[in-house]
Amino acid sequence: MIESMLVFGLVNSAVLMLISLGFSLTFGLSGVANFSHGGIYLLAGYLAFFLFRTLGLPYFIAVIITVIVTALLGATIYKLVVIRVRGIALNEVIATFAIGISILELFRWLGFITYEFSLPYMLRGRLTLIETTLDYQRLLIILVAFLLAVFLWVFTHRTRIGLALLGMAQDEYTALSVGIDSDWAATYSFALGGAFAAIAAVMILPLGIININIGYEVLLIALAVTVLGGLESTKGLILGCIILGYAQIFTSTFFAPHWKEAVYLAAILIVLAVKPSGLLGKFKELEERV
Amino acid sequence: MKKKVLCVFLVALMLLTVWSMTGCAPKAEPTKEAPTKEAPTQVFSGDPIVIAVPTALGSIEGRDGLRAIELAVEEINKAGGVSLGGGKSPFKVVSIDTREHEAGIPVHDALAALERIILTEKPHAILFGAFRSEVLLASMDIIAEHKIPYIGTTAMTPEMEKKIAENYDEYKYMFRMCLNAPYLVRYLSQLMGYIGEKFGFDKAYIVTQDVLWAKGTGGGVEKWFKENGWEVVGFDTYPTGAGDFSSSLTKAKRGGAQVIVPIFDMPQSGILVKQARDMEVPALLAGFISPAAPENAWDVFEGELDGLINFVFEIGPLPADAVPKSVEFNKKFGEKFGESARTSLAGHAPGPSYDAVYVLKEAIERAGSLDGDAIVKELEKTDYQGVIGRVKFSENHQVIYGLDPAEAALGGAFQWRAPGVRVPVFPELIAEDEIQLPPYMKN
Repeated sequence: MIESMLVFGLVNSAVLMLISLGFSLTFGLSGVANFSHGGIYLLAGYLAFFLFRTLGLPYFIAVIITVIVTALLGATIYKLVVIRVRGIALNEVIATFAIGISILELFRWLGFITYEFSLPYMLRGRLTLIETTLDYQRLLIILVAFLLAVFLWVFTHRTRIGLALLGMAQDEYTALSVGIDSDWAATYSFALGGAFAAIAAVMILPLGIININIGYEVLLIALAVTVLGGLESTKGLILGCIILGYAQIFTSTFFAPHWKEAVYLAAILIVLAVKPSGLLGKFKELEERV
Repeated sequence: MKKKVLCVFLVALMLLTVWSMTGCAPKAEPTKEAPTKEAPTQVFSGDPIVIAVPTALGSIEGRDGLRAIELAVEEINKAGGVSLGGGKSPFKVVSIDTREHEAGIPVHDALAALERIILTEKPHAILFGAFRSEVLLASMDIIAEHKIPYIGTTAMTPEMEKKIAENYDEYKYMFRMCLNAPYLVRYLSQLMGYIGEKFGFDKAYIVTQDVLWAKGTGGGVEKWFKENGWEVVGFDTYPTGAGDFSSSLTKAKRGGAQVIVPIFDMPQSGILVKQARDMEVPALLAGFISPAAPENAWDVFEGELDGLINFVFEIGPLPADAVPKSVEFNKKFGEKFGESARTSLAGHAPGPSYDAVYVLKEAIERAGSLDGDAIVKELEKTDYQGVIGRVKFSENHQVIYGLDPAEAALGGAFQWRAPGVRVPVFPELIAEDEIQLPPYMKN
């Protein structure tokens, strides 16, 4: 039982990490919370389905196109909408939230309510660890989540573009004074957020079927994890995912599965009450100390 | 400032979610204001008889149920309409989306939609009705207020019959054509009895969705298992939207469960089937998983359904030779809405929704009036051979379900077999083959 909990806790943590990396990344680099994340995630799922099942493209190609399209969509959302309300936090939230809801409800309106939308596993097969059998798709999810986290760190610490984005996130005015374009940085971060949402979608959605309500759940998960870990901290995000992932499996195994979803909400409320900056977040740290 | 606003928004969003999820939202009260104008109890020949369909139209059951109603209405109108007052009147269908299948939509939102369609469209009858049992029960007072005959075809709680029995005069307008939870328990118990006898199984694990009808059904099956010498290894409920079932599957595997009884009507329940295969759980899955019910599910799940036994709550979407009208219904549905729509037909609601229109037509014709009380009296006398078998209401207005379609309405179970065929296996009268163990349990 323990090894099963350890294995599926890790899978759960990886799923949470994949879902929330894009959201956290965009906020961390641009300071804008992209509440259309759930909509983009779902759109990526349906797009991959369309390219693979309807157009018959090889799955790998369908995935690549999906990632590129959602990255462009992310950039377009910034260029067309968010740029006009940039700096007014509430308007940013409302604008991105409206875009997300519009995407989700557009699919509902178009009749994407049946149970016929699904994506294939990328890898078939199973592995038995002690007494726990794990499929390759879930193993791949763990691997991809790990690789994305590493990529994110290397990108923001070892590349010129990443360092520029990081500089912008740390202090926008100083970054501007050394010639870094704020809008360019934000566009880039929205594009990356969109691409990450698509990668999460093509990795996670094959586990079940694609459904509109998933978009709303993804947004809630991304919010919970980001708030728990710290609004602009990648390390905090990873820690938050591991804590939430294992807490859910623990709750499900030793209490009852129907308490599992309450873990998100409880985590947000506790963290906001005790340490509003999140586990490893810097924001508000001074105020907290005071 | 910017981040403060964000934090305030997050907290508000979370509180709103908790508020709606926990049902703390205020209970809707039936309107105290009399409607400005009730639906006329007589119509001139040629004037339409209005049927309202207030339900979750964004759900597959809601969409297919409405289509089935439209199909029946089209047939009736083509044949001249409803005989009333010496002339013929057509049916007219109006609908409103209550969105009640979506997580987070409070009951009072669905009730507001119901009241709106009643007050604006002045329907003579309501068909399909509430999607969720919670909404159904709360709707009963509104229907009592407006005295409109109401034939539900989705929500399954037996509390409706209890309320009718307790206060017949108030709630007599409510009828139900679809299966209710106790009948589902009875079907599941009979199926489990058969499986236990055939394969010598006596250990089961129950996994249900955390909603009224599913938990009630799970509780009923658990009771049956215990009374009949089975060991219930576990009984878990999952919130709507849950996407990981590893804890239950691990316990089922370790506990040696031979049968897993899933009871879900949420799309994510498809994950349970795939995950059970991924974790190599050596148990027969037999119950209700809504995404696994349609004919096209085999391709959607890429063959992972092999051996799964799934219920179709009412015959109709599963054409059975013993019920000729069910075969005919499938053909007509495919012709009107396309083959793709037919193969994705939901396993719950389309059959009774289609029959409900014909049952209503006959009741109106016998009553010779559109008066709610007169229609109710005639609905109670219904004896109709339809898509779901023989339709007769119990004294508490629930259609009687049984094992013989000549005697009662019929629900049934099929088993998925390679290369993607739904083989009817229960009850005996419609069974085309015996239940077989899935390939992964044969070794």
